[in-house]
Amino acid sequence: MGGRATGDLPTVTDGAPPIGWSGVTGALATQCRVIRALILRETKSRYGEHKLGFLWALIEPTLMVILFVAFFALTRSSSVSNMAVVPFMITGIVPFSLFKDTMSQMQGAVTSNKALLGFPQVTTFDVVLARGILDTAVILCVLAIMLALAQLFGFEWRCEDPLGVLAVCGLLALTGMGFGFLFASIIPVVPSMRQVTSLVFGRPLFLSSGLFFTAESLPPPVREWLLWNPLLHMMELMRDRFFVEFVTGHGSWSYAGSFAVTTFVVGLLVHQAMRKRAVIGL
Amino acid sequence: MSAHVDGDSIITLEKVSKGYRTSAGVRRVLDDVSVRFPRGKRIGILGLNGAGKSTLIRLLGGAEACDGGRITRHGRVSWPLGFTGGFQAALTARENAQFVARIYGEDPGYIEAFTQEFSELGSYFDVPLRSYSAGMRGRFAFSVSLACNFECYLVDEALETGDARYKEKFRRAFAERAAEASVILVSHNESMIRRNCDMAAILHEGRLVLHDNLKDAMKAYQILQTRPRIAA
Repeated sequence: MGGRATGDLPTVTDGAPPIGWSGVTGALATQCRVIRALILRETKSRYGEHKLGFLWALIEPTLMVILFVAFFALTRSSSVSNMAVVPFMITGIVPFSLFKDTMSQMQGAVTSNKALLGFPQVTTFDVVLARGILDTAVILCVLAIMLALAQLFGFEWRCEDPLGVLAVCGLLALTGMGFGFLFASIIPVVPSMRQVTSLVFGRPLFLSSGLFFTAESLPPPVREWLLWNPLLHMMELMRDRFFVEFVTGHGSWSYAGSFAVTTFVVGLLVHQAMRKRAVIGL
Repeated sequence: MSAHVDGDSIITLEKVSKGYRTSAGVRRVLDDVSVRFPRGKRIGILGLNGAGKSTLIRLLGGAEACDGGRITRHGRVSWPLGFTGGFQAALTARENAQFVARIYGEDPGYIEAFTQEFSELGSYFDVPLRSYSAGMRGRFAFSVSLACNFECYLVDEALETGDARYKEKFRRAFAERAAEASVILVSHNESMIRRNCDMAAILHEGRLVLHDNLKDAMKAYQILQTRPRIAA
């Protein structure tokens, strides 16, 4: 990519072949600097303006968990196939945000940061990736804090395989980022896409991805259909890795993994192909 | 046109083309243009409204890529300064200054201090930019860019901001900088170019012609303005 202005190097040429290692490392250093600056800026404008700041990021999922736990308590017992309801809900609702929130934050990144694109070293890729990194990090923090709070309030849990849980988190984030990159480049050109994404990726996925149930508990014909949804696989794997009491018979690492990686790669490729139009479309 | 060798030019364009699609067909801003902008000069670029001046300055700064040919910058070139410049309205001047310092790899403390001092914004320095007047924004943008110590400043008709005293302060600061740094200023306003520049280029219908002499450029621009316009 010869088009990146580094600001460091004495001579910068657009449209020329790469200049060699010094050029590549210089461009990489600039990119890291830019992404870091964007993350700090985004953090400040999102959490620095209100008195409660970061607490907001925690309040919403907490309320959601409380709501669904209460709902379960009214209708059923205190466990879902042997898993305690509170950690069951936390490991469903919060990791789902890794996909959902990351995607929706990233898809608006180009439109809401267009002023910053006037700086030659800031590209749409940087702006979108910065949001992806920030949201992933924030949600992982929220997950850790909520699990700690649950423990503190007496809802005990023990994580069977923390690394496995992190791996599933990675798949969810990768999927969210893939769609994020994809829509970030399409929405500036086709604004009505936003309605389509919120329709498809909103309620239907929230209800069908296994946040509130296990695949085993579904009637077989329904289960067969819902297992096309890779997010359901990821949720199954999440509970499988988290709970000693639960072993999934349906979640497939290869299906979930290949979907996440493919989505991410396709998202990046489309973003690169569309990046010129995404800016002009503003 | 100009007899400068590669060594003392700040930005060179070789066979550069740029166009973009609009609902009325493809608009050519540059059509196979080769120009050398000499170092250490204050260069004006004149063009009628819609000639593509803003696109040109974005190309020079590297915020946009050209379709063909190459643009080479021999030194640190600023972002295009002007009203549209890349600042976040929700953040304060201090936070915006820190952002600029970080992406250019400068010392945030120094940039912050210089900007605060030079912009004379007082307590407004810690207020989000969205509550600034246009003049205050302009003052902030110019102060940050002066703090960064570029070798070439790209200016998009924004020298006209602020009150008379402040305008004078900027003109002096830029004149001082121009001893080592270059300034490229785009405008449709001749008198602004005449007051601030040593030489001028004219952008018209995809061609960019650099005149060594300000007088020649003005004459050519006047002829252009009096000519009937064929299409809007």
